[in-house]
Amino acid sequence: MKADDPAVLDVMRRSMVARIATLSRNGRPSINPLYFVYLNGHIWLGTVDWTLAARNVKADPRVSVLFEVEQDPSDQRVLRIRGRASVRTDQKAQHSYNLRTARKYLLTPGGIRNALTHIRQLPPMHNYHAQSAEKGQPCVIEVTPEQAEFLNYDQRG
Amino acid sequence: MKRVTRNIDPGCARDLLERVPRACIAFASDHGPQGQPIALVWHDGRYLAGIPEDADHRPGSGHEVVLLIDEGVHFFDLRAIYIRGQVKPAEAPGGAPVGRTWFEVVPLKTVAWDYGTLREVRDES
Repeated sequence: MKADDPAVLDVMRRSMVARIATLSRNGRPSINPLYFVYLNGHIWLGTVDWTLAARNVKADPRVSVLFEVEQDPSDQRVLRIRGRASVRTDQKAQHSYNLRTARKYLLTPGGIRNALTHIRQLPPMHNYHAQSAEKGQPCVIEVTPEQAEFLNYDQRG
Repeated sequence: MKRVTRNIDPGCARDLLERVPRACIAFASDHGPQGQPIALVWHDGRYLAGIPEDADHRPGSGHEVVLLIDEGVHFFDLRAIYIRGQVKPAEAPGGAPVGRTWFEVVPLKTVAWDYGTLREVRDES
């Protein structure tokens, strides 16, 4: 199935957390849940350049990414995208990613409610992000999809 | 010196193993990394992973895998258990869904996190 199939785009539009499987330089696997946006045919996942996901992509660009529609229990498809990825640290990509994730995750009724419910956690969250930024550079893992497939309900946990 | 951590004792995320909101594994294949949703049964402290019989790739016995069980969509709701381990063949657990090949993931390293518990801890690194 092509990655720009309307059904594929529909799941990516409604999915909130992507799970990106990567390999280290030594071929050791990892899988990490990350926030993402879909933009101009690419999947952008936000992280920091010292994380395992980013380091692995620099070592081996092949990735496998899982998506599901978490907020619609009636939609039990899992979408798997295979493709190649690169790590972008340029300000243009970072700025564009930040704007889109703010719209997708923060400036929504669910995002605002979540922040208000955890209002005392906001200073630690700020410090957590600042601490991450001290260890490395925020980056975007840019995935260029090559192949897409749906795994039906029977293939889910 | 203090730092902020998201990490929690894996025992505090035990409910994820009982409810299994989302579970998947990653492993290496000739075609690169494979992400695979799985059925997970946690029984007597064993991690039993069911992979569809018709899956195009599956980990071989003794291969290294990462098992991820996670939940949440909004930042402070994000929780996960991340287990790095090795797989070995296993019998299907009682009452398990049919049509799957079952493996046991034998943990080598387990970490868990919960963004709703972000807090300062003493940095001992």
